[in-house]
Amino acid sequence: MSSSKRSAIIVEHLRKQQMWESISKGKRLDGRDLDQIRPIEIEVGLIKKANGSARVKLGNTEVVAGVKVETGEPFEGLENKGALILSAEVLPTASPHIEPGPPDEETVELARVVDRGIRESEMLDLTKLVLISGEIVYVIFVDCSIINADGNLFDATSYAVVSALLDSKLPVFEIRDKKVVDTGEKQNPPIATLPVSITAVRIGDSIILDPTAEEEACMDSRITITTNSDHNFAAIQKGSTGAFTVEQLKRAAATARIKGEEIRIKIRELTKYGK
Amino acid sequence: MTQTRSLIDENGKRTDGRTKDQLRDVKITAGVIKNADGSAFIEFGMNKIVVAVYGPREVHPKHMALADRCVLRCRYHMSPFSTDTRKNPAPSRREVEISKVMREALEPTLMLEDYPRAAIDVYVEVLQADGGSRCAGITAASVALADAGINMRDLVSACAAGKVDDRIVLDINDTEDKEGDADMPVAYMPHLEQVTLLQLDGILNEDQFNQCLDEAVNGCKMVYEFQRKALMQKYFGNETELKEEQ
Amino acid sequence: MVPGDRIVEGNFRPLFNVIRAGNSIVATRIGIAEAGREGVKVIPLSGIYIPRVNDIVIGKILDHSSLSWGVDINSCFSAHLPAQDVFGRDFSPARDDMGRELAIGDLITARIIAFDRTRDPMITIQDKDLGKIPRGEFIKISATRVPRLIGKRGSMIQTIEYATHTRVLIGQNGIIVVTGRDLEGIKLAVRAIRMVEEEAHTANLTQRVKTLLGVSDASPSDNTHGTQPQNEAVGEELNEVEKGEKI
Repeated sequence: MSSSKRSAIIVEHLRKQQMWESISKGKRLDGRDLDQIRPIEIEVGLIKKANGSARVKLGNTEVVAGVKVETGEPFEGLENKGALILSAEVLPTASPHIEPGPPDEETVELARVVDRGIRESEMLDLTKLVLISGEIVYVIFVDCSIINADGNLFDATSYAVVSALLDSKLPVFEIRDKKVVDTGEKQNPPIATLPVSITAVRIGDSIILDPTAEEEACMDSRITITTNSDHNFAAIQKGSTGAFTVEQLKRAAATARIKGEEIRIKIRELTKYGK
Repeated sequence: MTQTRSLIDENGKRTDGRTKDQLRDVKITAGVIKNADGSAFIEFGMNKIVVAVYGPREVHPKHMALADRCVLRCRYHMSPFSTDTRKNPAPSRREVEISKVMREALEPTLMLEDYPRAAIDVYVEVLQADGGSRCAGITAASVALADAGINMRDLVSACAAGKVDDRIVLDINDTEDKEGDADMPVAYMPHLEQVTLLQLDGILNEDQFNQCLDEAVNGCKMVYEFQRKALMQKYFGNETELKEEQ
Repeated sequence: MVPGDRIVEGNFRPLFNVIRAGNSIVATRIGIAEAGREGVKVIPLSGIYIPRVNDIVIGKILDHSSLSWGVDINSCFSAHLPAQDVFGRDFSPARDDMGRELAIGDLITARIIAFDRTRDPMITIQDKDLGKIPRGEFIKISATRVPRLIGKRGSMIQTIEYATHTRVLIGQNGIIVVTGRDLEGIKLAVRAIRMVEEEAHTANLTQRVKTLLGVSDASPSDNTHGTQPQNEAVGEELNEVEKGEKI
């Protein structure tokens, strides 16, 4: 069951006024343009015990993602595909408003939206990760720990997952005498496309990209759009209690394609993918 | 925990190339999490641990507040990708126990009576684990608590010693932990010269115990230098001139 | 100093953020130690604001019960502002609308009138220059830097105000509101305040702030109000505040 609640962050009235005035003049409180994304830092390979890892900083929002590979049964109905299991935890280190415990509805939504973006875009060609169809497949775990939360956890987490997968070296398993054996060799993951998620929020009548925590506390509504390397849409989620006009949504979608490509180039560059 | 192979070679080198009194590489940075009141990041060997401190702050739920002093809450948690085999995100019994001994290692130094009816939360998050993670966690938590400006009698430094190939060595790594004879983590307040955490896993005779304890305390003193450096770096930069004119 | 560091040995009087350990006085927080005739103390460089009676603070309305407003004063405790403080002794919840007087998110300048180990702080907005803050640019700094921002007898903050044509409301709890007619002046004041926050512990800070503001050394930077403890310097600041909608 989901109940209405007040935002944990109460933004000072004066600050909200400052924000509205500033946005109506085309700038945000941190000096950014309405469609400007914060500086992105990506560090890969920091967790040597994982098959792949990445630390992403989107402004002050910081997420670490790690990839671990095992073998196991495929999902029901998906006998010919490897399994991809994505989870995200907003650590209690991330903000004064988090309490340790089972994931709340915001965190569950976060994990599922990021998962959909990666899965529906078919970033990984899971058909290449099967050992015995219907019985044993590669199981790829991608776990995200959000260390500092300053808005736009959706995009930061998504970039961390993508970067960690790009950084990964998967073991090469074989079946010998009906048992799974690690041959000791390594392979690159079967990457088919690079999904990029772009989140926009509506404040008053303006649409701004990549909100900070303060901007999220003042938003009317939010939309997260994931595009893949073909610039097609793979996953979309509208959040928060306000609404969008149809015009705003179409414009947001168009922006997501353009900005998505900019971020895609950046991710490739910062993860040194393909080099 | 009987050994099956030699962990120290004929030149006195351990599995990672160290001598028996050598500490692994340590690097500590204070103030890494913007939202937290205090924070620290530590790399101790291959351990990578981040700690955030929130507090003193209001206690929720209110009935858990203590009238005459502050409540200290400590959580030690490992990310699923931090270990060789993926770890389930739900808290394990090991994490529950370590959370408790960590809290008991830090509590003696904190002046909790200064903050009645409030709470201090210490969140220790292990991003990569490599033997001695609880010591690394306590060390970083101490720096984070100082970074948060909480009144403390002393810092708490932690280091483990152990027995490997029948010899007492300092700061055992993951392999030595799994295949060695004994593991003794210790937490120590360097100025007050008091021990706040002591555990033993393995068999030691009296001589070995005394030696091991001395070795671990020496390790703690070495670790203290890194903690001090991290705090001086953040607050005083590289300057030694401090007094400002007005 | 880091916690545990020995400051002095011998028969000194411990003042703030220090304790006696055997024959020495030891620091309990990160900061700069000062040993003088009155005793030994550490000026802290980090830590949240702990309320003190008579402090002027800037608070944010969080909610209200039928009898008082809950106010965030950037501390480990929320403060409460009794409805009677605003509406008077014969306050009646049926007749007097609390939400209309002070809404959630409003900022107020208040004075702490009660606080001890057994209860949350209580504040008042009844004195001169206290009350709702109608406009201005909002900033938050570490409460430990407030004394440095005010300066000796208000010298630092007055330098900033004169040079940027602004009025700066400073709460002891680290909350600051800057008002002025000129947007550029406000921006410059904010930059100066941030500089003081980041470099509070360094030497020659006053000079660097003056350089940032484009002020020469000959400008008036001494408080003309006479000698006063730093708390009261804040009160002097408030005397010059634009009078908005006073409650």
